[in-house]
Amino acid sequence: MSNTVTRIRVAGAVVAAAAGIVGLAACSSPAPSGNASAASPCEPAKGKVTLQYWNTVPGMDQVVALWNKNNPNIQVEIKNISNDQYGTIGNALKAGKAPELAQVGYDELPNLRSQDAFVDASACADATAAQSKFVPWTWSQTSFGGTGVFAFPQDTGPMALYVRSDLFKKYNLEIPKTWDEYATDAQKLHDADPNLSITFFDPNNAEWFNGLLWQNNAEMYSYAGDKWHVTVESDQSKQVAEFWQKLIDAKLVRTDLAHGSTPMYAAYQKNQIATYVGAAWGYSMFRDNLPDQSGKWTIVPMPTWGSNPASGDWGGSTVAFMKGNTHLYESVKFNSWLNTDPEALALENKLGGLYPAATAGASLPALAEGVPYYNNEKIFDVFAESSKNIDTSFAWGPTQKTVNLALQDAMAKAAAGNGKVADALAAAQASALKSMQDQAIPAVAGN
Amino acid sequence: MTDIATRATRVVPATGGRRRQNGGGPRAGVIVAFVIPFFLPFVLFYLVPIAYAVWQSFLVVRRTGGQYGTSYTTFGGFEQYVQVFQNTEFWASIGRIGLFGIVQVPVMLFVALIMALLLDTPLLKLKSFFRIAAFMPYAVPGVIAAIMWSFLYSPQLSPVVDLLKAIGLQPDFLGPGAVLWSAANVSTWLWTGYNMLIMFSALQAIPQELYEAAKLDGASNWAIAWKIKVPIIAPSIILTTVFSIIGTLQLYAEPAVLRQISSNISSTFTPNMLAYAVASGNNYQQAAAISVVIAIITFVLSFGFMRLTSKRAGL
Repeated sequence: MSNTVTRIRVAGAVVAAAAGIVGLAACSSPAPSGNASAASPCEPAKGKVTLQYWNTVPGMDQVVALWNKNNPNIQVEIKNISNDQYGTIGNALKAGKAPELAQVGYDELPNLRSQDAFVDASACADATAAQSKFVPWTWSQTSFGGTGVFAFPQDTGPMALYVRSDLFKKYNLEIPKTWDEYATDAQKLHDADPNLSITFFDPNNAEWFNGLLWQNNAEMYSYAGDKWHVTVESDQSKQVAEFWQKLIDAKLVRTDLAHGSTPMYAAYQKNQIATYVGAAWGYSMFRDNLPDQSGKWTIVPMPTWGSNPASGDWGGSTVAFMKGNTHLYESVKFNSWLNTDPEALALENKLGGLYPAATAGASLPALAEGVPYYNNEKIFDVFAESSKNIDTSFAWGPTQKTVNLALQDAMAKAAAGNGKVADALAAAQASALKSMQDQAIPAVAGN
Repeated sequence: MTDIATRATRVVPATGGRRRQNGGGPRAGVIVAFVIPFFLPFVLFYLVPIAYAVWQSFLVVRRTGGQYGTSYTTFGGFEQYVQVFQNTEFWASIGRIGLFGIVQVPVMLFVALIMALLLDTPLLKLKSFFRIAAFMPYAVPGVIAAIMWSFLYSPQLSPVVDLLKAIGLQPDFLGPGAVLWSAANVSTWLWTGYNMLIMFSALQAIPQELYEAAKLDGASNWAIAWKIKVPIIAPSIILTTVFSIIGTLQLYAEPAVLRQISSNISSTFTPNMLAYAVASGNNYQQAAAISVVIAIITFVLSFGFMRLTSKRAGL
């Protein structure tokens, strides 16, 4: 045995020596020069161009095949990166081999922009003109509230309330219009049947919780005086946190179900949960996973905090113009077709379940008709209305993923009874400041 | 999981000077030809990445200009390490994994030893069946095992939970207190057979004459097991302990899968999960520093254990 120890020690010395050599050979990336935010030129290429487009949408190959058939001079090659979307994009950026176009979620846009991942396509007339074709809040996300065009919105997740109308009828309850009414109904449902909860609170789903914050205008970030101002912990966000805290404390919501997990569907299947605070893309989840409950669900606007209609977004993504893109003219043409052409939108909705960010999406036949699972109700009218009521000034932070993890970890403690949901906001606020400091992004707390 | 120790021992022939002195001429060429297929990938895919991680851990991110600006990295000395040592989440994850290891490793190795000894007795029938049955879980990929167990733990899906409820118990395998041990159970299930096999093959190497001599001296089977077999296979037990210590510190798959259904596993539950979470937030330099610190702790614990036991056992 002691012989093995010496051998390993020798090997350790070899490792250390090799580390030293390679370490000397490597070097840190040099400080950049020049202005990175200037728009890139928009010249049409001579001859045939091939664009790389990385995405995570099921069926996107068929959409792109349609484009390629009609556009022999602008061919698009796609790659599905749903296994590790941001890992793949991040590695490609590091290697200087990013595709021309890539799918990026709204909440990841500022992060990638702070990694210098995008090019500004605003020199292309078609790019700036596209603004009028998208729902306002989506454009303010892809332009970062400025004049640049870094991505085109693709799909969105405007939120609404899914309700088991049969259960509400059974217990003589009105469908709630405000969160106060929602809390009252939660109590009534629970009193009527102790095994029945109005919904579940998944502490590991920061994206969902962020959608609720968005609805209450709980803006988390702003930029002024050369600094980011972090307001994750605000009066508005605390109002949301305290509301859910009350439901958790009174055991009116389940906290043991992870969103989208088999146990979650099982709980719905067993009629243990009466509503779902969800996004537009959720309609197919229920339709496909709970076929027995066809006709029992209805979709209504999200409960509100005041009397004014307000909604939030949960999920959805954009198609971004990536760093190193030398074919912006062609990229804009394809990206514009992909996300505003009715034929493309219809195909993406049918194959990938995307709820379009383009205003033209509302008049797609598939989105204008009633949906059989939901009693032939025109559920997409509810989502279209929801999308109109989404705050356009809400912005994500440049380290959103890290902040989301901190929020989740602390919300999990609250759900387990070791803390409060409001504490999670404080943890997320601290994480935002710390992670931005790690990335050398100037940030301060509060307005 | 066991790569570090096995690979590290294999590198020796390539660097050991003694043989080269004896050889020379055509023999050296032969040695090189045999060693290159191992040594080249070893350098490319093992030493270079380690060196790169070490280098990364000494860098910090800086930024120029504007709301988003442009980032670059520069040498920052031990800045990342200072942050690792100040990170309470990191030490909490080390503590959690320490508790896990102190309980899980002895339990697993004790069960493995008992199983190996049982397999080695002439009394047991259907030996090859039991050997394969015990080893089988190791053939299941860790992630699949964790998914399977997660279904058994879930109150919504598990027949086990239903049964326990039927007899009046209220089990919560995924609760804040229990989830660590639920993960430990998956690890134990996965690795016991593997450790048993290492111990069993050591038992097989013991010459039968020893047992005959012991029997002539009047030793019972019990005495043979504890006084002869166990001391002789002590090096194997130590080896499996070292592998298990390394495996515990690198724990990732089981808790990461259970996290999908239990919010009581945080994103920083184990040191490796913390490193992953930090890397996914683009802080590769900090993640590299965490990895290096984990590696150093692993080295210290494994070698510390080896040194301690080799002195005591006089090996």
